[in-house]
Amino acid sequence: MRRADRDLDDEVAGHLAEAEADYVARGLSPQEARYAALRDFGGVTQVKQVHREMRSFTLMNWLDFKLGGRMLVKYPGLTFVGGIAMAFAICVGLVVFQILSLFLHPTLPLPQGDRLVEIRLMDLEVNDEEPQIFYDFLQWRQSLRSITDVGAWRNSSPNLIDALGDSRPVAVAEMSVVGFKVSDGVPLMGRVLVEADEQPAAPPVAVIGHEIWRTRFGGDPNIVGRIVKFGNEDVTIVGVMREGYEFPVAHDVWMPLKTALLDQTPRSGPVVIAFGLLAPGESLKTAQAELTTVGRQVAAQSPATHQRLEPLVRPFAMMTSPAGDPAGGLILYSVYVFTAALLVLICGNVGLLLFARAASREADLVVRTALGASRGRIVAQMFAEALVLGGVAAIVGVIVASVALRYWGMGFLEANMGRLPFWFDLSLSPATFAVAMLLTTLAAAVAGIMPAMKITRGMSDRLKQTTAGSGGLRFGGVWTVVIVAQVAATVIFPAIVYTERIVVSGIEEFHAGFPTEQYLAVQIERDYAAFGENADAAALERNARLAGTLEELRRRVASQPGVAGVTFAATVPTTGGPEKLVEMAYDLDASGLASAKAAGGAPQANGAEPPFREATIAAVDPSYFDVLNAQVLAGRTFTAADAAPGSRVVVVDQSFVDQILQGRNAVGQQVRFRYPGKAPRPWSGGNADDPPGLGDWYEIVGVVPELGLGAPTRKGRAAGLYMPATPNLFVQIQMMVHVPGGDPMTIAPQVREAATALDPSLRLVSLQRVNEVNNDVLWVTNLWVRITLVVSSVALLLSLAGIYAVLSFTVARRTREIGVRVALGASPRRVIAATFRRPLLQVTGGVLIGTIIVFTAALQIRNTEMAGFENDLTLAGMAKIVGYGALMLGVCMLACLVPTRRALNVEPTTALRTE
Amino acid sequence: MTPDRGDVVYGSLGLLVLKTLDAVGPMHGYRLARRIEQISGNQLALNQGTLYPALLKLEQMDWVSSKWALSDTGRRVKVYSLTKAGRKQLAREEAQWQRSAGIIARFFNISEEPA
Repeated sequence: MRRADRDLDDEVAGHLAEAEADYVARGLSPQEARYAALRDFGGVTQVKQVHREMRSFTLMNWLDFKLGGRMLVKYPGLTFVGGIAMAFAICVGLVVFQILSLFLHPTLPLPQGDRLVEIRLMDLEVNDEEPQIFYDFLQWRQSLRSITDVGAWRNSSPNLIDALGDSRPVAVAEMSVVGFKVSDGVPLMGRVLVEADEQPAAPPVAVIGHEIWRTRFGGDPNIVGRIVKFGNEDVTIVGVMREGYEFPVAHDVWMPLKTALLDQTPRSGPVVIAFGLLAPGESLKTAQAELTTVGRQVAAQSPATHQRLEPLVRPFAMMTSPAGDPAGGLILYSVYVFTAALLVLICGNVGLLLFARAASREADLVVRTALGASRGRIVAQMFAEALVLGGVAAIVGVIVASVALRYWGMGFLEANMGRLPFWFDLSLSPATFAVAMLLTTLAAAVAGIMPAMKITRGMSDRLKQTTAGSGGLRFGGVWTVVIVAQVAATVIFPAIVYTERIVVSGIEEFHAGFPTEQYLAVQIERDYAAFGENADAAALERNARLAGTLEELRRRVASQPGVAGVTFAATVPTTGGPEKLVEMAYDLDASGLASAKAAGGAPQANGAEPPFREATIAAVDPSYFDVLNAQVLAGRTFTAADAAPGSRVVVVDQSFVDQILQGRNAVGQQVRFRYPGKAPRPWSGGNADDPPGLGDWYEIVGVVPELGLGAPTRKGRAAGLYMPATPNLFVQIQMMVHVPGGDPMTIAPQVREAATALDPSLRLVSLQRVNEVNNDVLWVTNLWVRITLVVSSVALLLSLAGIYAVLSFTVARRTREIGVRVALGASPRRVIAATFRRPLLQVTGGVLIGTIIVFTAALQIRNTEMAGFENDLTLAGMAKIVGYGALMLGVCMLACLVPTRRALNVEPTTALRTE
Repeated sequence: MTPDRGDVVYGSLGLLVLKTLDAVGPMHGYRLARRIEQISGNQLALNQGTLYPALLKLEQMDWVSSKWALSDTGRRVKVYSLTKAGRKQLAREEAQWQRSAGIIARFFNISEEPA
């Protein structure tokens, strides 16, 4: 503004000087020339004044914003509703942007982060990454010029046994020493790894992270030089890293990668991940070109293994990004699109409110047009108003987004992904603020410009009409669709919240059939492949030894005071086991079929296809039922002999008897598994590598009550089938410890101690109370409940405000007509019917559509895997939905109250005088 | 102000500016004012100051553009030139003006023609 004033001053001065010079040249004295120039120019002050006014009339100026601010105060209801809606939209946009940025545009908080790359190998044949790249890594390290400091690491998680004898697995990176260089790793004390440590004969050493040093060693200042046990190995600690150092991903301990000791044959060495630094002046593109050349040379040398392998380079932090994979990238971008659509939808609604408000100011706008305000001017002013509202909303949105990300964002990601890479940071960045500003502008554009364009369309025509504000402006077909859809959504959202609440309470109230709070579940992991193609002889031998170790562990833990029993299972109760199709011997003989029908069983087509029978399988130690104090309903439970190979007995639960046997006597029945393909071991998740030969018949020897074999997140009662086995054969080993008097967690340290003393390499990955195993699921589900609750509230708020605005608008628009009707003696009912017919039809239509959708969903939901909806839709259920629809209609009608009263209070004399 | 010099016809200053810039090329405010007066054969009494709001309006409409330069006498002046949009607008206004003037001229001709 000031600059424009200065410019004008300069211009006028220049003009006068030129004119003066002209007059002097024509023979006037300087003084006379000056006077003549001023006279020709006219009033300098007036010109400047007019100029200034005209300027202020051009673009948006601060007056518009001031007016916008005044509007906020003048219409507090609209400010509140519109502000909350826009704040919500902006908040959602920011949260989504922030989380997706982690995957789409991750940045490494390292000095050379932008040059750090990952080198990997794609198997074109299966279109997947080849993990065994150790041989290739060695080639790359030797030959690449565009990528320097090539290194690699491999992950392991041995037990770290600390000074107190506590033994827990830690995340170890066996890493090339260049890793410290490229990641700017500086030790807090001691040293990092050096090349000498990588020599085959070098003594085993480790560098530990700050967190481990603090929590596991109490921040011992004399830690350097101490020898600690990692599994069975004695390792000297040579250094402690600074706080926050977790390179390469989320690691606690670093050990040298002794390349000379590893298998260097092509495509069969250990699984490693390779990294390097782009050399100065090189780009990903040039590096990729060189890498491709090197890849071709390697393929020429070893065509048998490398014919279809292609080396690829990508930014290091992209390793966690699904964006590289087309499907994953598509999903991420579709989330962006969805968020943008949500923003447009919400702001479109706010636009509806602003439109209704502007309509009430139509007369004012028409007058302004008459005074020379262009259409652009009025649009700009409404945009400014929306921008002020959006600005206030953005502040709220940013604050809420930062709080939400701080308290729930990381938790949400950890619940889904496990431990997060060190570069995952959800604090707000300058980019976030830029996005917030962009979203605000977009929101203001949708909410301000769209209605302004609509209201100013044909403004000059309306100017010619005798009265301002008596017609023309109408909510068109698009608004009808918007309102109906919105009301329908308003009806649906609370139903979704209700559904989610049912799932949550299902998880919370899931009854396992035994006192889960008295049991400790200990997950034990083995780090070698004991089954399938990858199982080598050594692994099988180790696995056989594991049986003895677990048996001894059971004995030691059982001898602890307070422990009533110890057993093993392949899955923890209440987490759900693998489901398998089973068939009964009586399915296959005609007489059996007949008896099934007689017992009310499912009828079959021609007897060719046996009935669909799915059982949930659990492999358990023979002692399982005794330790769970399960009552034997029929027959017997397992004995130690049942776990022997070749034993063909199973125990089923009451649910199996009810659902599959249809109440038959279970004991003595023959059951077998139906496999679609290769026979997996019955208790595994369907691993095709499992040994075949289990299509045999099993005899049911006993029946037990339901013992939480299903999962609370799964629908219906699980038909449980228990198979006896020794724990070393389980895919996942869960030890369950019964501590009847008190908190089983108190026994956890003793369990760890016993395990460490027995075999330091035995990894106890998690110890938790059985009643808490579903806490993660519960947390995520509860978060969803909260999110949908907020979305529902915003939708409801917007709908009600929208209905209110439309009706108010209608009343304002038709005041004269109402006045005439009242004057002519129309009854209030007829006035309302005539005035509100259309909007009320829209609302009713919306509620009806919403209710129908809820109803259809309720019918469909029984066929899904969702828990808590096992019952058929009863009359009571239907009544509930209809009642809910009526309630929603009532709530929507609440928004009609004020405008209706206003319409009924129209005095004919006043209405007719408004002309 | 001499009695025989008429005021600029209301609303037509913009058109005069556009046409002058079109005919003569880019120039600064004073030169423009002088040129308009000269072309009118000194028949038009232009309050030179009123040129500036008119120029601002034309600039806002994106019909003229301006930039700072040095005048022949070495003074810092703002030089205005016609834009492409301005040239189109001029063509439109010119046609409209000719039409209106033609219609009005016909009316004046009525009285001269025999009834």
